[in-house]
Amino acid sequence: MVKQPDDPVSAAVWDALAGVHDPEIPPCPITDLGIVEDVRVGDEVIEIDLLPTFAGCPALDAIREDCEAAVAAAVPSREVRVRFVTSPPWTSDRITPAGRESLRTYGVTPPASDELRTCPFCGSQNTMQESQFGPTLCRATHYCESCRNPFEAFKPKLIALEVRRPS
Amino acid sequence: MRIGDSPRLLLLLAMADDELILGHRHSEWTGWVPHLEEDLAFSSIAQDEMAHARLLYGLALDSLGDEWDEDRLALGRPPSEYRNAVLCERPNRDWGYSLARQFLYDTADDVRTQALLGSSWKELTEILTLVRMEEAYHLDHARTWFRRLAEGPVAAREHLAAGLESTLGEALAIFEPLPGEVALLAAGDLPVANSELLAAWLAGVGEELEAVSLDYVLERHSKVGDMVPTASGEMEDEGPTLSVPGVERVRGRWVHRGGFAGAGGRAGKHSEDFAALWGDLTGLYRAHPGVTW
Repeated sequence: MVKQPDDPVSAAVWDALAGVHDPEIPPCPITDLGIVEDVRVGDEVIEIDLLPTFAGCPALDAIREDCEAAVAAAVPSREVRVRFVTSPPWTSDRITPAGRESLRTYGVTPPASDELRTCPFCGSQNTMQESQFGPTLCRATHYCESCRNPFEAFKPKLIALEVRRPS
Repeated sequence: MRIGDSPRLLLLLAMADDELILGHRHSEWTGWVPHLEEDLAFSSIAQDEMAHARLLYGLALDSLGDEWDEDRLALGRPPSEYRNAVLCERPNRDWGYSLARQFLYDTADDVRTQALLGSSWKELTEILTLVRMEEAYHLDHARTWFRRLAEGPVAAREHLAAGLESTLGEALAIFEPLPGEVALLAAGDLPVANSELLAAWLAGVGEELEAVSLDYVLERHSKVGDMVPTASGEMEDEGPTLSVPGVERVRGRWVHRGGFAGAGGRAGKHSEDFAALWGDLTGLYRAHPGVTW
């Protein structure tokens, strides 16, 4: 999902963005989270489009400011404009394999489209969902029946995610 | 200064104000819900709804003058310029009531946003595509608890049924025709008339209620309309009426026969409950215009 830059300035911008982290998921760079949608390098202005993971995420302003500061430091000669856009919508399958691994090391189970959630502590799949909601908008709370620990899993977010109808 | 009344603006405000005002009510549960998971749930849903309102206000700002900004749009209007359905402004009462309202509102919002994906207004469909991905979790929450309470102990079922009886009449008015609806339909901004959305929603909710043998709440619910619960939660006790205004079962399907209880929200007419909510919601903004963190 991380795009390959095609010129030195773009490369510097992408490197700078790879040093920005979501404060609610500290180990995961935003480039691995898949929220950098577009980087446009002009002669005077660098424009960056970001996608919100969840629209109500309170970290969005902090991420935007961190991006501006990081890119301005890397390419001081140009103005930097960072904005959030809503199209295309961010989906959880934009998280890179490296991003999924960093979630796991942080103790958050990466998103999965099936019902199985692997416990990040003991690796068991004998787990149950406690709630669709958790300490942040992007995480749900689960419980491991094997090691008896509560844990969190990143919510799957997919366009095709079907609303569960009553059976 | 009045905000204006272009049909597109009023369509956005109807949806955005619903989300903002109900989001505010949900947020009042933070710290008070009977158990922790539901505290997180209602707080998270509130956070989502306010974010969705923000996206819709952002689109509305595209057609408004420079004197308008996000905060002014959300917090700087007089009560008569809020276009939310009256259902959204009612006090939370008990958790069963809040859950019943969340179930009715989010199922209605699902019907509405699904239809609007077919709108010719591209920017709106983009926002709603994103919004629906998050609303899927709200629907799952509402339906999970709807089933759990309906099939749970008698006390749980009675709380849910009482909540549904109190909210059903006013939930119909989510689909009260919008001012300017004819123009919205002609332009393709609104691809399906509110009357048709209401028919689809009511039939679906009727089926879900029948599946847990709670469809009797469609026939026997607390009287609403001119008689409204006050901020203190008191209600006139006139006993149950025999039918929701304008609803009946025809050949196995619940249909709307015209008329709304608690209508007027789309025209800026609100209950007395709105005054207190508006005071809380906008107090800081009115005392300190332009204040920032």
